[in-house]
This record gives sequence, structure tokens and C-alpha cells, in this order.
Amino acid sequence: MNSKEERIQKREQKEQEKLEKRQAKMQDAGRLKRWRNRRPFWGATLTLLAGIMILYIPLHLYAIAFAPGSWAFIGFLFGGLVVIIGSLAYIYPQFSTVFGVVTIFLSILSIMGALGGFIIGTVTGIIGGALCVGWHMEEVSADKDHGGEKKMKRAKKDEGTVTASP
Amino acid sequence: MQEETVAVGRTAKKKFWTAIAAGFLAFGAMVAVFGMNMTAVAMPLGGMGDFYVELDELQGEDFHLAPHIGETGEEDEAPMVRNEIGSVDITNLHIYKDLRMPGTENWIRINITSPNVSIDGLIQDARLIDADLDFDSLAIEQSNTDEFTENWTQNAETITITDAKIVTDYLFQSAVSLEGAEISVEEIDEPEMTE
Repeated sequence: MNSKEERIQKREQKEQEKLEKRQAKMQDAGRLKRWRNRRPFWGATLTLLAGIMILYIPLHLYAIAFAPGSWAFIGFLFGGLVVIIGSLAYIYPQFSTVFGVVTIFLSILSIMGALGGFIIGTVTGIIGGALCVGWHMEEVSADKDHGGEKKMKRAKKDEGTVTASP
Repeated sequence: MQEETVAVGRTAKKKFWTAIAAGFLAFGAMVAVFGMNMTAVAMPLGGMGDFYVELDELQGEDFHLAPHIGETGEEDEAPMVRNEIGSVDITNLHIYKDLRMPGTENWIRINITSPNVSIDGLIQDARLIDADLDFDSLAIEQSNTDEFTENWTQNAETITITDAKIVTDYLFQSAVSLEGAEISVEEIDEPEMTE
């Protein structure tokens, strides 16, 4: 076995250990933690916060937002859409990647019409969106043997193989 | 042997950092495009309390000044003046706003600077204007009307403002072009206050 393979194996082993720890935590976790585990919680929360920050400026300009020639309504549109996407990310976690990409796009565009919530909204939106893009669910199967200890297996969807923990 | 499947939600670091990098790259590109093409569409600022506008020189056409009642950081209704200028060219513009960081005692100042600015359709509500002013064809008019914004007005074909510091509460531009704009944030000890 050459060093490259060893490194890959080590990395996989580490990943596996991490998964085992998380899975063990999940089994003893309360309802809120289990709920958070099944969706991109921090990504969605940061997205929601970014939307509120982006809405800050246009909300204070509501008097002129819909006046002819005013562009403040664009800030309303971008901020509102980011808030909606943040909320949807809680409800439909399976679309988190799409929500993340759209959040990043809208957060950057919100510089027009809303100054990106003093840029802070844009930065928060990019981070929230990236967390949504990076989030995914992994199915972990736990075997309970006679000694009461748990053995973990992770199914690799694309390869169709099963990696057993040491 | 009993087997149960548990779904574990996790964040893939590689995807996360790729998305962050792409996001900030796009953000940087957009700011750079603003800088090169000098175009920002309709920049509204207002409703968040006083902010300060400093400039070396402003040359404007089609100037109109009227009394106005508006919201400041401390009051819902404060007396101020509303300046409306059809087209404006500004040299060395500096807009800054002091904000307290939520949940802390620390203050930050957000600075927007640009050496050359041109604006179409400027509306500005100011509480204090400290500047040298020059007008062409200035007309000060009074009208017998109950509408207080039309009681007393100043109109001029052109206006030149130099070395100005303006305490502003509302700013709106139909189209603004900020050449070489820079946006920066700095920590400050305490905010600038104007009574």
C-alpha cells in the first residue's frame, strides 16, 4: 500500500469516527437537536438574518419605495426573497444546494437598491448560502451486537459499497 | 443483530469553502465593476438616523430648497431642509455613518468615499449645512398657502457648494455614478453627535 492510499484510508477513517460520534450524539439528543440535525439549520438561520438585514434599508424607505423612478423596491424584492428562501430551507432541506446558490446570488445583487444591508447583510448571506450549499444528509446504519456496543456502516451512494468501521 | 439507519446532517467542508470563495469572488467582481463602470443604481440612504456627508466641491443644476419635516435617529418629526438638485457633479465625496455593534459597547464607522461622483435626481434632507455656497439666478419666494413646504422656497439655476459638511437624514438618487468608490469599516471610540 503506497502512502497516497494510506492517507486516503486515514482520512476515511477519521470521517468515519466523526460520523460515529455524531450518530451517537443523535441517539441521546433531544427533539430540537434531532430537528436541527435533519436540516441546514445554521445556513437557513444565517440566510434569514441576512434577509432581515437587507430589508432594513428599504423598510425605512417604504414611503418612496413604490414611487415612480424609485429603485428602493428592488431592495424589498431581494431582501424579501432571501427571507423566503431562508424559511424554505428549514422546510425543504433536500433543496438546500439550490437555496444556497440563490441566496449567495441575491445577497450580492442586494447591493443595488438596499446597499446589501450595509454590506453586513451581503456577507452574512454569502456565509449562510455557502453553509446551505455544503450541507447534506448522510445515512448511517448502526448495528447493535450482543455486547451492546455499536458498529457503524456508511453507505456510499454513488459507489454502492459499504465501508465498515474498524 | 439489530440494524437501524440514522440520518446525520453534516456540512461538506470542500463544498462550503468552494461556495464561500465563489460568493466572495462574485462580490469582489461586482464591487470592481461598480468601481470601473462607476454605476450604482438608485442608492437610497435614510431612516437610520443622522449620517454625515463631506465634500470638497459640488456643482449642481436646477436647485430647489424647501422646508421639510422628517425623521431623525432621535425624533419622529424634526425640522430640516429638503434640497433637490437635478444633476450634480461632486469632487471628493465622503459619506460616513456611525453604528453601535449590536450587543456591545463598541462603535464602528462605515465610510463610503469617491473622488468623482455624478448624480441624477438628488433628494437630500439635511439638519445642518456647514459650507460655502454660490448660486446663479437665485430666487427666494414666499407663497400664501397652508402647505408649509411651499410657504418659503429657494430656487436657483446653478449651485456651487465648497468645503461642505452636511448632517443628513435622508438621501436619495435616481442614478448615481461613483468613480473609484471605496467602502470601508473602521472601529471608533465614540460616535460623532450633532445637536
